[in-house]
Amino acid sequence: MFDIPKDRAVPFGCVTPAPDTEQPMMITGNWREYRPVIDQEKCNLCMNCVAFCPDACWQLDGAEEEVVWNAKYCKGCLVCVNECSTEALSKAYELDFPDGVVRLEKPF
Amino acid sequence: MAYVHEITVWTRGVVKDKEGRDVANGIAAAADREGKFTQAFDNYVDLPDRVNVPVRKYARISDVEIEMRYEYENEKPEVVVLVDATLVKGMNVLRGLRKDGVLVVNTDRSPDEILEFVPDPGALKAVACVDAKKICGTSTVDFSGSEGGVDAVGLGAGLAAPILGAFAKATGLVKLESLAEVVRNKEALLQGHRSAVVKALR
Repeated sequence: MFDIPKDRAVPFGCVTPAPDTEQPMMITGNWREYRPVIDQEKCNLCMNCVAFCPDACWQLDGAEEEVVWNAKYCKGCLVCVNECSTEALSKAYELDFPDGVVRLEKPF
Repeated sequence: MAYVHEITVWTRGVVKDKEGRDVANGIAAAADREGKFTQAFDNYVDLPDRVNVPVRKYARISDVEIEMRYEYENEKPEVVVLVDATLVKGMNVLRGLRKDGVLVVNTDRSPDEILEFVPDPGALKAVACVDAKKICGTSTVDFSGSEGGVDAVGLGAGLAAPILGAFAKATGLVKLESLAEVVRNKEALLQGHRSAVVKALR
């Protein structure tokens, strides 16, 4: 597509510091009004939430026995609740929980 | 420089953006009718907003001409208004709050439940809670992209009306009568003024 000489080619994404496991420059947890809550009894590890989450906030834990939720980056879009095949996920109002506080100094 | 009352309104982008702007504009328009000098504007840094992003709107009231025209942010607000209550978990909304400041929250919870999420309420004089959603249902949305320049819905047709009523009750910076002259949904304004729960902290 582009005729870039070999000696001038750079790897994709080299312009910004590439995030390793997370991107602390764009914390989106404070966008959330409602959060997904998982009932581990009903979960059959179908991985729909892991596949559909736009911010990769659902991940398998180390032992690969359950999916865990990342409160720091979940913006509460609730795609996972819609896609859950076993209705293990439900939405709950954020002020019902003392945890998940992402108190930033500035919006951006 | 003469004392300027600074009011910061926190809201959520797009979905409650117009409500936050209506609160700031309503405060300024009502104070203007009382012969005060006023300013009301959006935070430039927060725009363009996206859905649910925390955004700020500002209002300023003064008895004499406001000379801080080229300062774009209220660094030391006297009143902080939260159009969405979950912002207490997401932002340090009381940053720079002046002593004896007031927090006005749109929520169905009590002031004590909101104070659990406020890490340092030392500067607060009072917390006011009003359930605007219960009073007037859903929020109004303005997609014109003109930041209120051409707004056919009108000022205070949605959630902003009860919040303005609670603001008048908790702070007394503007009179309810002058708010009633500028707000479209006057019934919701009066009901918000009536049903607002104000908890004095000192």
